[in-house]
Amino acid sequence: MTTDTTLENKSLNAHLLRRAGFGGTVTELNHFSNINYEQAVDQLLDAVDTSSLPQDLIRRYHIDQSDLRTGLSSGSNWVYRMATTDAPLIEKVALFWHRVFATAQTKLIQGKVMTSQIEMFREYGLGNFREILIQLSKNPAMIFFLDNQDNHKDSINENYGRELLELFSMGVGNYTEEDIKECSRAFTGWTVANTDYMALKMRNNTMRPYGYIAWQYKYDETDHDDGEKTFLGNTGNFNGEDVIDIIVKQPATAAFISRHLYHYFVADELPVPQWPHFPPKDPTVIDIMSDAYFASGYSIKAMLRALFLSDSFKSQSSRYARIKSPAELVAGTLRLAEAFEWPTNDVYSATAASGFMGQTLLAPPSVEGWMGANDWISTGSMVQRVNFASEIMGDLERPGIRKIVDQVKEVSGTDDSPETLVDACLIQLGWLDVSDETRSELVEFASRNNSDIDHQVSSLLQLVVSTREYQLV
Amino acid sequence: MTTKKDKKEKIEYLDTVGFGADIGGRGFHLPVDISARADGHLYVINRSPMHRLGIRVGICDVLHGWYGEFGSDGKADGQFTGPTAITHDSNNRIYVADEELNRITIFNPDGEFESKWGECGTEPGQINGPSALKVTSDGNLLVVDHLNNRIQKMTTNGQYIYHWGSKGIAEGQFNLPWGIDTDNADNVYVADWRNDRIQRFSEDGKFIDMYGSSGSDDGMFNRPSDVAVDQDDFIYVADWGNQRVQVFDHLWNFHTSLRGQATVSPWAQEYLEANADELDARSRFDPYIEVDTDDQHEISARVEAYFWDPIAVEIDPKGRLIVADSLRHRLQIYQRLND
Repeated sequence: MTTDTTLENKSLNAHLLRRAGFGGTVTELNHFSNINYEQAVDQLLDAVDTSSLPQDLIRRYHIDQSDLRTGLSSGSNWVYRMATTDAPLIEKVALFWHRVFATAQTKLIQGKVMTSQIEMFREYGLGNFREILIQLSKNPAMIFFLDNQDNHKDSINENYGRELLELFSMGVGNYTEEDIKECSRAFTGWTVANTDYMALKMRNNTMRPYGYIAWQYKYDETDHDDGEKTFLGNTGNFNGEDVIDIIVKQPATAAFISRHLYHYFVADELPVPQWPHFPPKDPTVIDIMSDAYFASGYSIKAMLRALFLSDSFKSQSSRYARIKSPAELVAGTLRLAEAFEWPTNDVYSATAASGFMGQTLLAPPSVEGWMGANDWISTGSMVQRVNFASEIMGDLERPGIRKIVDQVKEVSGTDDSPETLVDACLIQLGWLDVSDETRSELVEFASRNNSDIDHQVSSLLQLVVSTREYQLV
Repeated sequence: MTTKKDKKEKIEYLDTVGFGADIGGRGFHLPVDISARADGHLYVINRSPMHRLGIRVGICDVLHGWYGEFGSDGKADGQFTGPTAITHDSNNRIYVADEELNRITIFNPDGEFESKWGECGTEPGQINGPSALKVTSDGNLLVVDHLNNRIQKMTTNGQYIYHWGSKGIAEGQFNLPWGIDTDNADNVYVADWRNDRIQRFSEDGKFIDMYGSSGSDDGMFNRPSDVAVDQDDFIYVADWGNQRVQVFDHLWNFHTSLRGQATVSPWAQEYLEANADELDARSRFDPYIEVDTDDQHEISARVEAYFWDPIAVEIDPKGRLIVADSLRHRLQIYQRLND
């Protein structure tokens, strides 16, 4: 007998899969419905990717995804990963850092260096925040995006130093203008090999004569200001690592990163520039994450575990409280359809669709990333979202859709009432909870549809992904 | 010919031909195969998926002569969407395989469309993803029917003769085979891409032997994409995933491995001289930086002179090795040094 507790466990695990992943597929739901919530949290946090479409196959059939010259090629390479991985949290976390540490192919020109940055987020993103900041500061895409190659010992460029404090770690109000200067001095000499030629090829936007050359971090000791610096009240001959050591010890850093995690994983917050002026929506959970940050030695995974186990995250009010980002909508829908068992040019249209919905992967609109929240929805983007999801749900040739239809048919074989059909579809699309009004509309549609059962289910799936609830996460 | 196992043949780098040209014109964009015509003209297929104007066949020679181009992106006669292979017959007719459209297009020696054939399927004579072509000494065509994991012998106008191969790892089986060549005795060599080996067959498809295993040591392969055999039956393997070309004799004795050492071609030099800022910045450019990774694909991305996805190998009429250095939009030319 199915108990309420079991139903709640399934519903909660489905919520977790939407937030810590891209929503549950039929296979994932079958697995996660049989384990308790804490086990689900741990499995998602500890997962290692074993199922992504192999890169050799992708490069074999998409030669452009081997040199990754364009943003579309690089973005598509990421969509493949998001759509096929069995460690979805790693991709969600990469997407999180991509939004916080925003760099864009539109300036950097090369898609490849953006992909390398995303790979860095995959490798370090759930790890130690100190290490993340060090990797970020050495990341060639970030160096060129914020002009640290122009940050010299006799002529500092504050761009990276300022954003490191303002947007990447502490937030406005927790440091002075003098701290920015001293921080920038500490990062002098952190540059890219062959700086002049690499910067010129970027500026001239030219792949000639022989394609782009991928960038590599270089520490130029001769251009580093080794003088004494005073930063956040500490004095010494600081280099970049020393500054990061000081940053990660600050309570403001713990609170700032916690608020970012809440903003991304729980509920939309105010835009970051307003954070100094307004308290967080849920100070209690920010404190819980901050405690986990210090107790674990700055571990992002520990912060997320604390978040996912918090009452705030699990509460009914947190469910369906965020609008899916376009990337989440695209990846989640592709995963339901099991769209990429083999390389296909469909990946490019899916990647482009995310852009049409307002999120061009690897090209955030500014260093502040995407605003998200209600910005995701406009008349045009809503049409794109519904059309994209609906078109995929209507394709019975896709293996995932076939599986969903077959599972729904299995249920309706014993009871083919419209109500049963609707409920079976909602379960197969990730234990989707809908309002009574939405459900009655779906039932009404199901009772009017007289086509064969396959197309009846497929049409119903198309309608479900058009609902308000499917647009939320 | 006799070859002693302990005597290693030397391969000399000669030159680099090419220049990145993603919208057509003199140069290449993502070249994926080469066919050397009897007069030494090199016909180069450009795949160019994200820059559709770059899809075409370019014609050049090793002395940097440029003889024009034909073909373009599309599905009409004479066009391609996923060109993978090119070869010539003894009358200099040109055959181009398109693995997306599942067809072989035939051009006359002037590059004008003549005819096409091909039907997608698994039946004998049908094809699914033709990835390589080779005209045999009896004037027929070997087609690597890669998604069907088989080699089909066809007449040049598409009539089925016979086939061999199936999916698997046993002798004579394939896992997504790619490139193909024949030797002086009409033996057939197939780059068994996802099995990390080269297989050798008699001309009628009987298995002779195979060589290679997965890895990066000498004699090991990481997704070999093409194979070429020279007039002395030396075997050149485009070891795509290891970013190198390996050279063996006909007994599979390993001789050498090439990592690439491209120089600036005259076409590239002309470009740089016309763009003074780039020429100036390049004068301070260290092409062989010390890399901080072991990933060969990534190393190739950072060191411009190295091969970056060497995808096809071809022997020209003078015995020179031509390597399609695909992601660098150029050809690197080598010569085996005779005693």
